[in-house]
Amino acid sequence: MAERTKKIKLLRKTSKTFLWISLVLMVFSTIGLYFYVRNLLQDEVEEELRSTEARIESSISENSIIYQLPPMVEVESVPNLGFEHLKDTLIFDPSQDEIEEFRELITYSKINDQNYRITVRALIVESEDILIAVVISYLIVILFVFIFLFYFNKSRTQKLWNPFFKNLEQMKLFSLTSETPISLMDSDILEFSELNTEITTLTDKVRSDYKNLKQFTEDVSHELQTPLAIIQAKVDTIINGEALNDIQFEQLSSIQKDIQRLKQLNKKLGLISKIENDQFTNISPCNVTHILKDRIENLSELYPSEILLESNEDVVLLMDAHLAEVLCNNLLSNAIKYSLPNTPIVIVLEKDSLSVRNKGIRAILKPDQLFQRFYKESDEVKSTGLGLAIVKKICDLYGFQPSYRFTNNEHHFTISLPKQ
Amino acid sequence: MKILIVEDEKALLQSIANYLEKDGNVCETASTYEDALYKIDLYEYDLLVLDINLITGSGLDILKLLKKNKKETATIIISANNSLDDKLKGLDLGADDYLTKPFHLAELNSRIKAVLRRGKFGGTEQLEFNEISIDTRSRTAYIKDDAMALTRKEYDLLLFFITNKGRVLSKEIIAEHLWGDHSDMVDNYDFIYVHINNLRKKLTDAGAKYIKTAYGSGYKFMED
Repeated sequence: MAERTKKIKLLRKTSKTFLWISLVLMVFSTIGLYFYVRNLLQDEVEEELRSTEARIESSISENSIIYQLPPMVEVESVPNLGFEHLKDTLIFDPSQDEIEEFRELITYSKINDQNYRITVRALIVESEDILIAVVISYLIVILFVFIFLFYFNKSRTQKLWNPFFKNLEQMKLFSLTSETPISLMDSDILEFSELNTEITTLTDKVRSDYKNLKQFTEDVSHELQTPLAIIQAKVDTIINGEALNDIQFEQLSSIQKDIQRLKQLNKKLGLISKIENDQFTNISPCNVTHILKDRIENLSELYPSEILLESNEDVVLLMDAHLAEVLCNNLLSNAIKYSLPNTPIVIVLEKDSLSVRNKGIRAILKPDQLFQRFYKESDEVKSTGLGLAIVKKICDLYGFQPSYRFTNNEHHFTISLPKQ
Repeated sequence: MKILIVEDEKALLQSIANYLEKDGNVCETASTYEDALYKIDLYEYDLLVLDINLITGSGLDILKLLKKNKKETATIIISANNSLDDKLKGLDLGADDYLTKPFHLAELNSRIKAVLRRGKFGGTEQLEFNEISIDTRSRTAYIKDDAMALTRKEYDLLLFFITNKGRVLSKEIIAEHLWGDHSDMVDNYDFIYVHINNLRKKLTDAGAKYIKTAYGSGYKFMED
């Protein structure tokens, strides 16, 4: 199985990309700016130092005045000329009463046959401050720009994708059984508009196919009634007609039995398609306890052993009365059909669940298919294979949860009922 | 009894008519909406067996017309549509019973008799067969004026037998009458044997040997 990729929201994804790109740009531009401004400032300081030095030199050569302004300017006579050098140095500044960092230019110069060493210094703090100020103001500006762009971009994207999100919600809400067609938000973006057209075409097709299918089942089940009625009437007539022999009668009886099966099948298919077509809209409070008691009384003759109902209080459900009856009936007749002979069937009805259990030899082989149409475990019991499918349909209609388990050699059918 | 049967499937129409005529009823038939309207307008009937899904019109309209003209005709609707709504609509319009297709002719016959027994149509709620009499109001059967102790199913069975006397009833027909949709649950029909044998014993004990076996597995209620 392919590894599932982590899902991320579209807006978050685009914002994330924006954030990363902006961050990288911010860092690089800040670093770039920092070095650029620093170089600029260093050049400025150096130029200044050289210019001061040139002035001192010229003042010595012209006026023989030797300026001393430690630590900014120091002039000394030295025996030999040395090499000029430019460096940063830490010097105690008595005016500030602390050690400060200076940029220092030391030059050697021979003026009027006298060797001088001229040291010119400038406080670096000043240029450092400027550097920091520049960088910080840059950062602030870019941050504001970034925040603005971020929100602007986000709202733009949101607006842009809005039809997409709206339509996605519509599609999530789309239900095959719903009568109303899907209503999509139109957009001036060509691709979105095309997508809408495609979705509308698709859902319309699916809806009409589904409707046809449902109608087909209903129609077939309806149309079969009349020919069945004719066959049945004719068989009835033959039975009462000319003398038959026992074998012929047996065969006609068997035909009657098969007609009865077809009738049942037809009736149940019709019921399923009616539930699917949402034709049971007559919702009223149904006393399930009463319905069960009534059903048990009705069916107990067909079951040689006991059918027990355990119910402490009357359970009332809001549903169609006919469907409530069908639900109880199908669960009960299922238990009767598949119960081991001479073992009791127990029905437990509580506020939040209805459970029917009966003895069985082994668990059902494919419990996940149990509630599907025409699921049969064996041919031993003549069944339409629709009883539990109808139970499932009714449960689906009202949000009940049907489940099956096999414990202690018993089949348990439980319907979880929602709080009402 | 004069009966009009309205049904657009001619084969079904004929079968119903033949079955009902055997009981000495006079059956007329109509296979179209127009034919039915014409006959209802012209003649008086005791009973109308009415299919509501006619090709050229709705049987419900025929029923409405019947009620509008204040005709005292009992009506049984036969319909391929088994929805509760249709049933209620039919009964609301004044139909006396509603039978979903397909049905057994014996079942239709027993419904017809039940409808006609109602005082409304000049019938009595008493049913008699030789020394057996049944009071359908109190659901009690008497044999030579002695009340019989019958279970609910035995009573239903006896009533079904008497209303279809002289007819062959297979166990399928009986099962469907007694248990309706649940008859498919009684696979081996043991339960029917139990009920029939109990009833037969109770009748035989009182000297009424009317339940005969027909063709090995069917039954027939008749005099010797």
